[in-house]
Amino acid sequence: MKTFKVLLFAALIGFASIASARTIEMDVNGLVCAFCAQGIEKTLKGFPATAGVFVSLEHRIVAVQLKDGQDIGDAALTRAITDAGYKLIAIRRTDEPLDAIRQRVSNQKALPPVDASKHKHDMDGMPGMQSHG
Amino acid sequence: MQSSKRWAAVALLGLLPLSAAAKPIAFANGKTLMVEWGAGTMYEVQMFYAPKYWYSLGGGWLELDSDDGSKRRDITYVRANLLAKRWNLPGAQANVFVWGGLGRATGNDFAGTELSRNLGFQTDYETRRVYASLRADLNEAKSFSHRVDTLQLGWAPYAHDYDTLATWFVVQGRRYTGDLYSGTETALLVRFFKGGAWVEFGATTDGKLQAMAMFNF
Repeated sequence: MKTFKVLLFAALIGFASIASARTIEMDVNGLVCAFCAQGIEKTLKGFPATAGVFVSLEHRIVAVQLKDGQDIGDAALTRAITDAGYKLIAIRRTDEPLDAIRQRVSNQKALPPVDASKHKHDMDGMPGMQSHG
Repeated sequence: MQSSKRWAAVALLGLLPLSAAAKPIAFANGKTLMVEWGAGTMYEVQMFYAPKYWYSLGGGWLELDSDDGSKRRDITYVRANLLAKRWNLPGAQANVFVWGGLGRATGNDFAGTELSRNLGFQTDYETRRVYASLRADLNEAKSFSHRVDTLQLGWAPYAHDYDTLATWFVVQGRRYTGDLYSGTETALLVRFFKGGAWVEFGATTDGKLQAMAMFNF
């Protein structure tokens, strides 16, 4: 009985997380040109649950914004990407709206990760400052 | 005649919005229109529909002219294209396409209309910064046999994304069999594409215009 309750609780948590997801983000291999993106966008927009699609060639991601209370199953997503001619690597469900993903991706372009070793000299020459590491 | 063809090609290019590898299959449930003006030796218009991402069906018209003006072929054909193999890699894609078809050919050095056959293949590799393709296209009938081999190497000065204009610089080498052109015809091209549309233009080393437009929808 205890095992059943644990399983039921886990299932409910899982269901809640899927039901509340607003966006599906997928990592896709083979995305190199606008035609690739165009084909995937056209396929994903064919789902009744799709509210919008965003494709980033640079980050190799395809994001699908879902309509309220709707979802697209992993099997259908895998088939859609495969039937479009590309390789699906991973699926993530998030509450992040499509615009936020677009913004995050855009920021990643504008602000590449800082390489601390390149900025070490900035502190070394300053009175009272010591670099760490 | 040359002048009217040139204007027709320019007009067709102008009708298309700005659109790395010209592929005979763009995407599933998609249509591809391609118009090529090939430096005085080759002119082609193609239209294909792809029910699946791995094959497309359609047809086209091809004119082949020898550089000395002595031979001309007009071929109207139906063709099937097959994506034989695709490699989807992180940040890269490679493909092998094959195709075949049948058509009707006329020429200025034989009488009437002949049944023509078309066979070809293309292999390509593409990232968002480099591109290479090799294509062989054989057209033959009772009175002629011509194969056009095309090698293209492309370089993009920046990596484009879906919502930005892609710019490519391409070096092309092309060889013709069947006494159409002796040696290798070399061309330098600039290519733009955005969304479903693409246009490229440039010139051969002997100063002849080459242009192509492709539109996927």
